[in-house]
Amino acid sequence: MPVFDQGYQHWSGTLSGHAWRWLAITRQGVRVALTNRWLRIALFVSWLPAIALATALCLWGLLEQQSALIQSLRPLLGFLDREMLLDPKAYRQEAWTLAYGYFMLTELRLAMLLILIVGPNLISQDLRYNALPLYLSRPLRRIDYFLGKWGVIVAFLGAVTIVPAIVAYVLGILFSLDVGILKDTFPLLLASVGYGLIIAASAGTLILALSSLSRSSRYVAMFWLAAWLGSGVIASVLQGIEHEQRRHALGRFDRDNPTVFVDQELTAARTDWRPLVSYTANLARVGEEMLGTPEAWDKVTSLRAGPEKDMARLRNVSVQYPWTWSAGVLLALFGLSAWILNRSIKSLDRLK
Amino acid sequence: MLFQFSDVTKTYGAITALNNLTLSVPTGAIGLLGPNGSGKTTMIRTLLGLIPVDEGTGQVLGKDFRREQLDIRRDVGFAPEDECLFPHTVGVEFVAYAGELVGMSRTDALQRAHETLDYVGLGEARYRKVESYSTGMKQRLKLASAIVHDPKMLILDEPTNGMDPGGRQEIIELSRDLAHNKGMSLLFSSHLLPDVEAVCTHVVVIAAGKLLAQGEIAQLKQVHSQSYEVRVKGELTPFAARLREAGCTAEEYADVLKIALPAGATPQLIWKTAADASEQIRHLRPQRSTLEEVFLSSLEQA
Repeated sequence: MPVFDQGYQHWSGTLSGHAWRWLAITRQGVRVALTNRWLRIALFVSWLPAIALATALCLWGLLEQQSALIQSLRPLLGFLDREMLLDPKAYRQEAWTLAYGYFMLTELRLAMLLILIVGPNLISQDLRYNALPLYLSRPLRRIDYFLGKWGVIVAFLGAVTIVPAIVAYVLGILFSLDVGILKDTFPLLLASVGYGLIIAASAGTLILALSSLSRSSRYVAMFWLAAWLGSGVIASVLQGIEHEQRRHALGRFDRDNPTVFVDQELTAARTDWRPLVSYTANLARVGEEMLGTPEAWDKVTSLRAGPEKDMARLRNVSVQYPWTWSAGVLLALFGLSAWILNRSIKSLDRLK
Repeated sequence: MLFQFSDVTKTYGAITALNNLTLSVPTGAIGLLGPNGSGKTTMIRTLLGLIPVDEGTGQVLGKDFRREQLDIRRDVGFAPEDECLFPHTVGVEFVAYAGELVGMSRTDALQRAHETLDYVGLGEARYRKVESYSTGMKQRLKLASAIVHDPKMLILDEPTNGMDPGGRQEIIELSRDLAHNKGMSLLFSSHLLPDVEAVCTHVVVIAAGKLLAQGEIAQLKQVHSQSYEVRVKGELTPFAARLREAGCTAEEYADVLKIALPAGATPQLIWKTAADASEQIRHLRPQRSTLEEVFLSSLEQA
């Protein structure tokens, strides 16, 4: 008998409970995804807007303190209204809201790109390599499998939306040196985190559903491009046609009065359903409402006078239909995605 | 008791995969035999709690397969028949991931992955992409991932399918070692009878979802007290004719005569017939059923 048997050895370690079993799938998914060079580049690019956000918040903090550091930069702040420069604290909430609004809108676009790189492989590759029996014959439920795959999307989207939002918030607070800022801006932080989660939940479920429809990742990528860019293009074309018709009709009446023109534009936009066709427009509309950017724009544009004010309103508040419409579309998409996943990824309760 | 079924019925539409199946199987190396479509895979899925049964109850390792599915799957290692892979992984990652899915920590899973890959003979290929593995290597990889968490019971579904003789022998030896030397109970599903015979001590034969035969292979291959195999120096045919005249049943199989004595007769009758025919007996032994005969006779009885 050998002193040490180098053959099979028994193992006496402990196994974790079922609750976090999905995390193993998420960890593996993240590990595999990070081997993709394009994803690493996309992640790097996605963090650049976070630097801009943090810089904006820090500068505003210095502006509030009338710091000597900011004086040399004052000429660059000419785009801000005089009232805002004189009393920046009074416009703190709006400045932060608009900074976060721009950041989230940019990250929304970049998140779609990240999903294009990470998402198509998630389930389609398992179908292609017949990996489902390997998962389901282990102590995992289907919901663990879905959660694990969904966790991969949440991890990447969280890394470029939620984490930078929190880090920028902390930096902004540190540069403001005012405890009152917490009261003013904490709801914004919660809204940003919540919005990041909504993007991850909606886009994550949608890409998982698309990924479960084909064994080929290329087809899934095309489905995603159709959902992201295709729907956006269709919505833009529909909106363009409708705008042209409306402005043509408007021209016959009161084109010289910009206030009436803008009011009529905004009134028409309130019942315009065409943006609902665009997936990202729906996410953006819900985000606007959560972050409160329309109110912030209203306050900022109210500082301007005459036609400039009207045009600023029109430029910055272009989508005015109720946010609940977009929420409804996103909820319907979520339900449809869950239904597709349930249909596509079955248990092994079937004949071959 | 390894597992037991009590009146288990499972249907897929009009097809009855398991039909009032009742059986009780002891621990050890168990062979699961049955023709294609006999319900072997459904039985394995039922054991793992992967499918709900229409009727009946049962236990695996003392756990109810209708209620404690996750606990059963934690204690059981399973290597499915189909070619299935976690894509874009190297061998050691594949096995470690399988361990993590069962609940092992990353460190433990990686350490065990190296050990089990060494054990199944894939140590040299551990850092190769699994997509590049040969069929035999994939089977051994599945075996390694099934035993990474040291299960109490191992289920191998057609593990030697499509393998070359060398690879097949390796899987058989590994399965034998695990079942006979490492104390792991084994359910070895196959339609290759020599493989089952080489690995298992106990066999369960099912067809059309029903139990046809069950027991220790040594007992099923019982000695027939009135049947003998005989080889003689001369021609078989004339000697067979002399035996038939003496009241025996004699059939030629290659260079052997299979003889059934009449009731009450002893082997002395064969010796006497040989002496009368001036024939030399070179080989005489009681006839023993092969596993193939047991299997075929079970199917015929069904």
